[in-house]
Amino acid sequence: MLLHGVYRGFAGGARDVTLDAGTIREALDGLVRAHPSLSERLRDEHGKLRPHLALFINQDDARLLGWEDAPLRDGDIVHVIPALSGG
Amino acid sequence: MAKKVTLLVGTKKGLYILRGDSGRGSWACEGPEFAPAEIHHAAYDPRDGSMFAAVNQTWGGSRIEVSRDMGKTWKTTKNPAFPEGTDRTFSKTWHIEPGHSKTPNVVWAGTEPAALFKSEDRGETWTIVKSLDDQPSRAKWVPGFGGMGLHSIAIDATDPKKMMVGISVGGVYRTEDGGTTWVQDNKVDGAPSERPDVFYCIHKLLAHPVESGVRFMRVHEEVYWRDPGETTWRFSTPGLPTNFGFAAAIHPRDTQTAYCIPLDGMKRTASPFGIGVYRTTDKGKSWDRLDKGLPEGAPMESVREGMHNDRLDPMGLYFGTANGDVWASRNEGESWSRIAQYLPYVTSVHAATIE
Repeated sequence: MLLHGVYRGFAGGARDVTLDAGTIREALDGLVRAHPSLSERLRDEHGKLRPHLALFINQDDARLLGWEDAPLRDGDIVHVIPALSGG
Repeated sequence: MAKKVTLLVGTKKGLYILRGDSGRGSWACEGPEFAPAEIHHAAYDPRDGSMFAAVNQTWGGSRIEVSRDMGKTWKTTKNPAFPEGTDRTFSKTWHIEPGHSKTPNVVWAGTEPAALFKSEDRGETWTIVKSLDDQPSRAKWVPGFGGMGLHSIAIDATDPKKMMVGISVGGVYRTEDGGTTWVQDNKVDGAPSERPDVFYCIHKLLAHPVESGVRFMRVHEEVYWRDPGETTWRFSTPGLPTNFGFAAAIHPRDTQTAYCIPLDGMKRTASPFGIGVYRTTDKGKSWDRLDKGLPEGAPMESVREGMHNDRLDPMGLYFGTANGDVWASRNEGESWSRIAQYLPYVTSVHAATIE
């Protein structure tokens, strides 16, 4: 998983995490295990992924691939990106 | 060692820290921290020197940060969380209030959606005050112009079990048993109109820091005082150009003196009368304008958390504006000078009096 923008700061400066995961959900769980400080930055108190978070599998938007259920293959890179927002 | 004042200045693009010299005449500006997040409020805890910041951000959600080294480094606390089974989600922190000196580990937070959270570990973790959340009248709370938040947490000077909270729009609730039970406390005396129940948009509610029972409150179009033993809010505004406004402060020693910044109720700026701080020295019976050094006729704006005072003698008074100024008075409001400019929109000013 490759962290972008503010998510690197939320993870204490970490750039990436390599892990075994069959879906985006499993990948996010593994990411939080590696960096617990990301837990509340990725999900609200009810477990829902926060808005303004974009997840891409390689070049493809995970929202179009099943979102948290989107399957992963060996070698996939999951990008964790702050969605464009603000002003 | 001489006391100094440090100002925690929240803006729409991060937190600035203005560190004053011993004379409060020179200020070193640091920051921004947490930009581009909006800092709705920041507070200093005189009991242990902690600083808290309400960091309200889209990326990663809102959070509360704490510093144990006077703002040099910050740590993210465990988020306030609404309980399972509710459709409400912690959205923002509107206010952080260090607890009473008799409860040294307690810190309070008011949030949006409107709720009161309590920390019993110096702000590391937060638990919702369920007794307030369970009030049947909560169903009638509605958002004000800026959202629906609990923003005022007024702790009695001598008895930490006596507290009031102010909600926009939900009125005032009072507890006398440390938050086990709450009653609505919205009965007014002398106001132009009495509204039903929760429909009081509280703008700012303050407890006097040394005199038990003294309260000063700004409501949407009203200004109120309450003395010890009174059970109603006493309306009195002679001398104010309008009754509308948010920013308020209460004198740290004098029990009859408070300050506010009136705004036009429609334009939400100090127009046409110009920015000015108004002072009462008789519990709101009369108000006089303090504007020496302020730009004449300037249609500026200072918001809910925009004004605060230090605890020195003479007291220092400070306010921030939507156009990025911070103004300071070292003589209890008699004269003013600008100590910062070109900051982002100032959302909060908190004066930390540091030993």
